[in-house]
Amino acid sequence: MLEFKDVSLTYPNGHQGLKNINLKINDGEFVVVVGMSGAGKSTLIRSINRLVTPTSGELLIDDENILKYKENNLRKLRTKTGMIFQQHNLVKRMSVLRNTLSGRLGHMGTLRSLLGMFPQDDVNLAMSNLNRVGIGEKAYTRADQLSGGQQQRVSIARVLTQKPKVILADEPVASLDPPTAHKVMSDLKRISREDNLTTLVNLHFIDMAQEFADRIIGLRDGEVVFDGPVSEVSDKTFEEIYGRPIKEDDLLGGDED
Amino acid sequence: MSNDVKFPPKPKRTKLKIKLGITLAVLAALYTVALTTTGFEVRPSASSAWHTLQRIFIAPLFDADTRAAFPELVGYMLETIAIAYAGLSIAAILAIPVGFLAARNMTGNNLSYIGKGILNAIRAIPELIFAIIFVAAVGIGPYAGVLAISINSIGMLGKLYAEVIETIDMSKVEAIKASGGNRVQAMWYGVLPQVVPEFSSYAIYRFEIDVRASTVLGIVGAGGIGFPLLLATQQRNWEDVGMILYVVVIFVTIIDIVSGKIRNKLV
Ligand SMILES: Nc1ncnc2c1ncn2[C@@H]1O[C@H](COP(=O)(O)OP(=O)(O)O)[C@@H](O)[C@H]1O
Ligand SMILES: [Mg+2]
Repeated sequence: MLEFKDVSLTYPNGHQGLKNINLKINDGEFVVVVGMSGAGKSTLIRSINRLVTPTSGELLIDDENILKYKENNLRKLRTKTGMIFQQHNLVKRMSVLRNTLSGRLGHMGTLRSLLGMFPQDDVNLAMSNLNRVGIGEKAYTRADQLSGGQQQRVSIARVLTQKPKVILADEPVASLDPPTAHKVMSDLKRISREDNLTTLVNLHFIDMAQEFADRIIGLRDGEVVFDGPVSEVSDKTFEEIYGRPIKEDDLLGGDED
Repeated sequence: MSNDVKFPPKPKRTKLKIKLGITLAVLAALYTVALTTTGFEVRPSASSAWHTLQRIFIAPLFDADTRAAFPELVGYMLETIAIAYAGLSIAAILAIPVGFLAARNMTGNNLSYIGKGILNAIRAIPELIFAIIFVAAVGIGPYAGVLAISINSIGMLGKLYAEVIETIDMSKVEAIKASGGNRVQAMWYGVLPQVVPEFSSYAIYRFEIDVRASTVLGIVGAGGIGFPLLLATQQRNWEDVGMILYVVVIFVTIIDIVSGKIRNKLV
């Protein structure tokens, strides 16, 4: 279980990114975090793998306060927490398989990894994950020769190769066209279900949030202004979260292809 | 309507003119001091300039003795290239950790500042001075030349590498960190693949410079074609001097062309 207890984060410049967040997220939940740009969505999920560190409160994963973690524990925490970014962050000039394998780095000794001596088990794991997201045949292609949707699938495969318990996705489909975005989200949801992974996804588009989320958390100005199952969510909820009427821009559209 | 266009008043350049005047006066004074205190005299040499030029550039092509020296000179030139190559190879690799240390986005402002300062200091010292020092330290011969070339190349490559590293996409590094990778792994998998083509290109470019620099190392006893050049000039053996120049020009040109082609492919 993942638990925020009165978590606040003040950035060095004095800006309050998170204000007294209290949340409990159960194992295997698929949570979508929504809110306007600047609401604190990235700050929230980046706290969970400590890419940013909250300045007060407690953040518990399985009852351990991860805000106390230093160097070694932090690395361990991060190996169990896979992150998918808006920009896929693949190394362009490396093969798809190697990019996927780089998800194992946290589990390897430095020297072995410098020599690129990945254990055969890891290679098999990486390959099977590529197959799971449907791009196995691209294993030996250079990452920069894939389309945006394929690249984002590779980052899903890379994250799976970490064997994580939690997946954090920061606007994973924001730079994809609607049909592709829809497919990538479906893949993410399917895999998260199959492996029973706790998943937090930041999404900008409200129709997508409604389609994929089990539970929706609404943020505004660093505060949780909505938290509930997707069944309780209506357009009015979003208007409250966004603090303004819903616009065309807030919808992805083009769900059917 | 063009006469309606209004221009602001032209700036007066009096300041600039005063600066220029002072600079010229200072330069003239310096020249006077230099020429009067060093006993410099323009003296006609034993043979006319034209005659010397002819002996340098034309004679070697027809003079059988000089042409016979060609293979030996090529040998010296190959030694020169070998010095440059060995020095550069050492530098191209050692400059990598140095470049990482000097890159702001890798080590932070302070270390980067110190690192760049050291690299600039190294670059400020010419190869020839390093060569003199190393000849004294390790003895006459190409080994001293290799060390001189490599130190100087580290100075330049380290700085260029650092600049390349500062322009990379740090999100790849963040992705490795986010998956539990350590600093070294983040550099190896997040940074190196992004910078290797630029690094290689700069290293090859630096090789061109090093070949040129190596041609004069022999003058201070650090190996290469500079040594026969020194002998030939001291003996006023202009035909040999000419032949050496031809050899240098031919090899340097070939290396420049080839390396330029390779660099074009890399980046
Ligand atoms: N490193 C930082 N330093 C200062 N302020 C920041 C930093 N990162 C984000 N912020 C600010 O914190 C707020 C929340 O940012 P973020 O979590 O990125 O929002 P979102 O992901 O919802 O767009 C924004 O106002 C942003 O400007
Ligand atoms: Mg964000």
